[in-house]
Amino acid sequence: MGFIKGTASYVRFSVEGELPENIWDFIADRVVAFSFRDIDETYEEDSLGWVSVLNMFDTEFDYASYAAGNYVTLSMRLDERKVSSTIVKKYVQKEEDRIKKEKEIPKISRSMRVEIKERVQNELMRKALPMPAVFDLCWNLESSTVLFFSTNKKAQALLEDLFKESFGLTLIQQIPYLCGEHLLDEDDVEKLARITPDIFV
Amino acid sequence: MDLVDLIAEKRFIGQEFLTWLWWKSEERGGVVALPGEGDIVVVFEKHMLLEYGEGDSNESLICRGLQTELQEARTGLVMGKKLEQARIQLAYNDYEWNFTMAAALMEFRNVKLPKTGGDSGNTENPEEREGMVLERIFLFEELVRIVLELFRLFLQIRVGDEWRDELLKVREWVNKAERA
Repeated sequence: MGFIKGTASYVRFSVEGELPENIWDFIADRVVAFSFRDIDETYEEDSLGWVSVLNMFDTEFDYASYAAGNYVTLSMRLDERKVSSTIVKKYVQKEEDRIKKEKEIPKISRSMRVEIKERVQNELMRKALPMPAVFDLCWNLESSTVLFFSTNKKAQALLEDLFKESFGLTLIQQIPYLCGEHLLDEDDVEKLARITPDIFV
Repeated sequence: MDLVDLIAEKRFIGQEFLTWLWWKSEERGGVVALPGEGDIVVVFEKHMLLEYGEGDSNESLICRGLQTELQEARTGLVMGKKLEQARIQLAYNDYEWNFTMAAALMEFRNVKLPKTGGDSGNTENPEEREGMVLERIFLFEELVRIVLELFRLFLQIRVGDEWRDELLKVREWVNKAERA
């Protein structure tokens, strides 16, 4: 939903930094290098990388499927194993009761409690299925801007990191003030820096 | 200044723009003249969110209803609240978008594209699919472009000498809500 289909929510970033001359070769190389790696068969806690905007299982990008005209279209996929704190609490209590009975002790020491919690949490995490989330983006190579199809702050922070790692370029969210710096001439930009809030009543 | 501080210190710019755009669109019955582009239909509809205070003491007020019922939102302005989000219908060159503008960060939310925008996920033909993706990109970017042109119009007035007169007109319009 969003970029490809239906209603969409998005924010704009500018892309700061220089791309090498052979742009498309560079992008092809980096997109595959930072493509999403599946963790279904491992015990890793999370995984983050690029997938096709049309299919979240496509990490091969045959025929540069991310290219559309002068645009790069990609999805950032995040798979995360999560266990709710209520479940952890339940199994920790269960394990504590079991140990108390087994060792015939009335109370569990603080250090033992910490050890039990850590162990239970790890065991539950391994059993948890990775939850996938996909966020689309569209990179305009001509204007060096990116539309990112999520207003989620955590997703935006992950995008900034993954984009920097993949392409060595910095994304800067285009908040109104920064848009203003691009829209106005030099004199007006200086005036813009000085304005303070006005009262509308 | 880093981005976090810049966002906090300058969030009023986006909110003032949205309030100004609301007044500007009502001034000519839902039409704003954009130099070099012509008339653009800008209608504020159904849904608005106003903010009051900063940080922990931040409060918000949601106003829903038909256009005429947005009186409550204007009363909110009189109380010193800032317009943070508004649902807008924008029409230009046979295209019509519906979207919610979140002002402080200039987020485009729940954007409904003009009807010509086909869904691009249903075709197996790669060329056709690329064509549809490009059409959607054009429509997303065109909306951004027009909003930025409106924003430029606002900023030029806001930093210029005309702002004093413009602000008086906006105040008069806001205060009408109190008398209504």
